[in-house]
Amino acid sequence: MKDSNAIRAMCRLYAAMLYAYPREFRLQYGVEMEQFFHDRCRELARERAGSGAWFRFLRRNTTDWIVSTWRERRASRTSPGIRKLVQEWAVTLLMFLFVTTSMVQAYVVPTGSMENNILVGDHMLVDKVGFENGGNNWASYMLPHREVKRGDIIAFRYPEDVRQTYVKRVIGVPGDQIRLEDKQLIRNGQKLDEPYVRHSSPGLDDYRDNFPTAPEFYTTGRGRDMFAGHVHDGEVIVPPDMYFVLGDNRDNSEDSRYWGFVPNNYLVGKPLLIYWSFDAPTNDYVDWNFRHIEDVALHFFSKTRWDRTLRVPSSQAAQ
Amino acid sequence: MKKQPDLLPLTPPVFHILLALADEERHGYGIMQDVARQTNDALQLGPGTLYGCLKRMLAAGLVEESDERPDLEPIGEQHDERRRYYRMTALGRSTVRAEAGRLAGAVSAAKAKLGLAGGKS
Repeated sequence: MKDSNAIRAMCRLYAAMLYAYPREFRLQYGVEMEQFFHDRCRELARERAGSGAWFRFLRRNTTDWIVSTWRERRASRTSPGIRKLVQEWAVTLLMFLFVTTSMVQAYVVPTGSMENNILVGDHMLVDKVGFENGGNNWASYMLPHREVKRGDIIAFRYPEDVRQTYVKRVIGVPGDQIRLEDKQLIRNGQKLDEPYVRHSSPGLDDYRDNFPTAPEFYTTGRGRDMFAGHVHDGEVIVPPDMYFVLGDNRDNSEDSRYWGFVPNNYLVGKPLLIYWSFDAPTNDYVDWNFRHIEDVALHFFSKTRWDRTLRVPSSQAAQ
Repeated sequence: MKKQPDLLPLTPPVFHILLALADEERHGYGIMQDVARQTNDALQLGPGTLYGCLKRMLAAGLVEESDERPDLEPIGEQHDERRRYYRMTALGRSTVRAEAGRLAGAVSAAKAKLGLAGGKS
């Protein structure tokens, strides 16, 4: 009797599954176990077993595989000593460290400056290698990357306090001339249509909405440097190796208007994926407190914004 | 060596594997088939469980490997496949006997107790 393709495929799969067993066990019994599995399949085929019997067989076999790999691994660990254990975990740990330090970083958004694109409490993974210079590490030079473009949402270290990570949208790249006229952004002499922008206050604030005017008392040191060195004829001119960034929630965002440019080596990366979005006030994300833990524990299901889970923050260029 | 009390009680798979080998040498798949027969399909050993048990039983000296030879009653029509056969040792025989005795004692104790309880209901 010839084996059917399905049986051959299952046997190959089972042969691969045997690699989960410890090496010595697999070398000693692997061939016999494959034979055993093959025999069982052939017997079921000969009996013309229905799909229910096949399903039970596969389920039982999977359970057997899980239970016995676990048992054999535990048994083999005690005998060849702690070395194996360390070896196994070392690889896992190294991969974990590599990935977390150089490829992605988890980040929580504390403020609403990017609403409605990114909300307070969005927990996201930041891709540290997608941009040239991203995360400022070797992996970003090795792996495929691209330059930061206008319209990209970026995560970066806040220049006035590098311990904080901010997320904003790139408005100006080196050489761009930027100004705001009654909330309307004008870049290189052209009015920009910015569909992502939200205006939350109807009133006009001269500093905020007719930027750049003159430094106010809340303009930071770097902001004042920008006014002193890079404002010509009522326009900010972005210097080399810097970005000019603004929040999408334009009337309620502390951004390059207040604290100046983002140096390109402060770039962390590109927001990749929102993995969890939990509705809690800004304070809870700025100062870690016990009340927040309680809040998460009690309202995990109701305050998680499920529709935002696994969303990708959209980078879109202004027209 | 009569019996090793520290091997008792045996786990059900080990007990039934020993019973399967009590009358003749068998290969792995044959053991599984015989165990299923003994237990009316209640205990169907998977390959991982079976060879895990055999490994420990070999180490404890309850069974030993026989030779590798072509199957006597081939499954399917391949006569040329060679299989390794397992055989019970003297220690295995005395252990399974001791276990059977232990289980018989447990069953009679249970019968005595449950017989009384059954009378009430």
